Amino acid sequence: MELANQLIFMGGALLLVSILAGVLSSRIGAPLLLVFLGLGMFFGEDGPIGISFDNFNQAYLIGSLALAIILFDGGLRTPYRSIKLAWAPASLLATVGVLITAGLTGLFAWAVLDFGLLPSLLVGAIVGSTDAAAVFLLLHQRGMDLKRRVGTTLEVESGVNDPMAIFLTIALAELVTTGVTDITWDIAQSFLLQLGVGAAFGLLGGYALTWLVNKLELAPGLYPVFVIAGAMVVFGGAQQLGGSGFLAVYLAGIIAGNKRLRANQLIRRFHDGIAWVCQIGMFLMLGFLVTPTSLLPDLLPAGLVALGLMFVARPLAVAICLAPFNFSREERLFIAWVGLRGAVPIFLAIIPLLQGVVGGMQYFNVAFIVVLSSLILQGWTVPWLARRLNIELPPTPEDKGKLDFELPSGFDREMVGYRIAQTSPMVNKSIDALRVPDRVRILALLRENVVVPRQLIKTLKPNDYLLTVAPPEQILLLDRQLLPRRRSGAKREDVTLGDFSFPGTTPLGALSDAYDLPVTKQEREMPLADFLRKRLGKTVSVGDRLPLGAIELVVRDLNDEGITEVGIWLEPAQPQLLPERLITLFHRATAFFRRGLPWVSTTHHETSADETQAKVDEAQLGKQENAVVPVKESKK
Amino acid sequence: MDIADMLSPEGVLPALRVTSKKQALQEMARRAADVTGQPERAIFEVLVERERLGTTGVGYGIAIPHGKLSELDRLHCLFARLETPVEFDSIDEQPVDLICVLLAPEKAGADHLKALARVSRLLRDKAICDKLRGTDSRDGLYAILTESAASHAA
Repeated sequence: MELANQLIFMGGALLLVSILAGVLSSRIGAPLLLVFLGLGMFFGEDGPIGISFDNFNQAYLIGSLALAIILFDGGLRTPYRSIKLAWAPASLLATVGVLITAGLTGLFAWAVLDFGLLPSLLVGAIVGSTDAAAVFLLLHQRGMDLKRRVGTTLEVESGVNDPMAIFLTIALAELVTTGVTDITWDIAQSFLLQLGVGAAFGLLGGYALTWLVNKLELAPGLYPVFVIAGAMVVFGGAQQLGGSGFLAVYLAGIIAGNKRLRANQLIRRFHDGIAWVCQIGMFLMLGFLVTPTSLLPDLLPAGLVALGLMFVARPLAVAICLAPFNFSREERLFIAWVGLRGAVPIFLAIIPLLQGVVGGMQYFNVAFIVVLSSLILQGWTVPWLARRLNIELPPTPEDKGKLDFELPSGFDREMVGYRIAQTSPMVNKSIDALRVPDRVRILALLRENVVVPRQLIKTLKPNDYLLTVAPPEQILLLDRQLLPRRRSGAKREDVTLGDFSFPGTTPLGALSDAYDLPVTKQEREMPLADFLRKRLGKTVSVGDRLPLGAIELVVRDLNDEGITEVGIWLEPAQPQLLPERLITLFHRATAFFRRGLPWVSTTHHETSADETQAKVDEAQLGKQENAVVPVKESKK
Repeated sequence: MDIADMLSPEGVLPALRVTSKKQALQEMARRAADVTGQPERAIFEVLVERERLGTTGVGYGIAIPHGKLSELDRLHCLFARLETPVEFDSIDEQPVDLICVLLAPEKAGADHLKALARVSRLLRDKAICDKLRGTDSRDGLYAILTESAASHAA
């Protein structure tokens, strides 16, 4: 009895401390998962409280469950639109990419650890996949809005690459324990089984779950529970039949999330909470599981493996897998860097332990150190890098002050209420200035406890409450006009989409006259939207940029019909990774050499002073070789 | 091209009183005519034509109307701080209270774009806009615009 009470108290206290620590961590910009992991280690065996937990079977159980739920939740939030945009690069990364990463990392491990080749490859496989929990959380933390295709590619990759890593790990662990080398056929078979059964179970499970939820009459609070139980069945079922439960549960989540579900919002909110509990629980537990002092002997070699993974293996894998797609160089760089490792490797490292591989504990320690390095080094720098590489998008309006009711199933309308804040764009304006999209109806306005019917609404005042009925796809347009703008503490020049903005219908010729663009006669009549689509290809997304003459066009907004808003950057920002001084130095040096070697330089400006010459060189360098050069116009 | 090379203290309107976008452009065109010696009508039309293409209200209460005039001798910049904000069809639908007009000769080419980029970058700085909004003297505004521009050049 005493023990039960203690456990309950400890469990609750740990959750509370974790949440509070999470609040603090966002102040210093530390990745949340690192905080949870750190807390787990702090409270663990070596810490002052000394909670001892080393039951790997239990850890495996809790880890699987948590990961399944996190993946399901991730699937629920992934709209088909995003999948359409990112499935090809993501699936290549999730298969070939994992193979390359695991292989190269294995070779690194072989070089620095005193493991044989096979066990080293096993290490590579263990840390081969990116972690859905870490990627989902990191990309959504602090309201970072990434360019759609980049963010989605990373998310989908992390959602579907676990089967590959799991399969590689199990196969290699078997090879290491049995020593048999002649089971290639079995391996191929088990891989296909993992994928096939996993996918089939996920798809079927997703549809069945949706159908059941919409058919059954339950107490409203039971729907989310029903869905989560369904997700567990999908996961466990697929696993038992030899398929990948992780793949299955992610696919099921995607399908359920994109179908019209009864009690949709209830389900989402519940899952949001549960997914948090799983993130916290899993990382705390992994922190408990490790004995920090026993990591020390492996720290250096494992650290080297981590560096090899982050700086060589992952970037190479990304470079190869993304070669067929038109990602920009900055986007590739970003994707390569956000190869976050998280719970999956630690959790996969339990497999050799459970399978009784000799020296199993060392796999675990190495995996742990690799994950820790990745969370610290990559996790901490992702928001910074996103900004530097221009991957970040301007913030969308905050959801504060919006209330969204779903009408009983069968209607494709939602009832949306907006509290007009002091910072809403529409505040103190006439209601007639509100752009009301098709099929949207304004019902009434609540003002100081009085209901004002539509006909009598004149202006929108702060603290008014506007009730509307709108189809889901039009809600965004209302959001933009009615929700308060996000107060950005950061300088706003960090993320905007262009100096000026034009409608997608603007003929290119008109723009060319205003800004001296190199445009052919035929192209002059072409609307901006068509021109961009032609040049950028089919998969255009917000934030995509196209250099044109001295300026750059950028997609600001688009809908199903095409690009609706285009921005222009008058002075395209070059991604800037190195400190500015270093770059200037570098350019002084190259400019010097170019002047020194007359056959290299092709243009001469006789009268220009050194500085201007360097400037011209810089600009040309930037254009011709597309080098990492901030186009600077300096000096007084 | 520094802001100081394009903007003269006469081109700063510390408390312009207008009630509409059109009136704001008219007033600024009139002042621009004094500063540049070009016909007011032509300036106004150039600015309006550019607005027709897409608003120059870049959000956060700022607008940067601009255009090219064939007879102009060099780049000219004018700045106005409005007494009360006016609707400007801005991209964020917020009214505008800081307006910076940029006029360029027809053949200014790259210089025009650079100057425009400079102005745009300057006014994207929230701290500078706050300072501009809190100043109501011509000299004060001129000093903020030219000094801040210098520190922004790096």
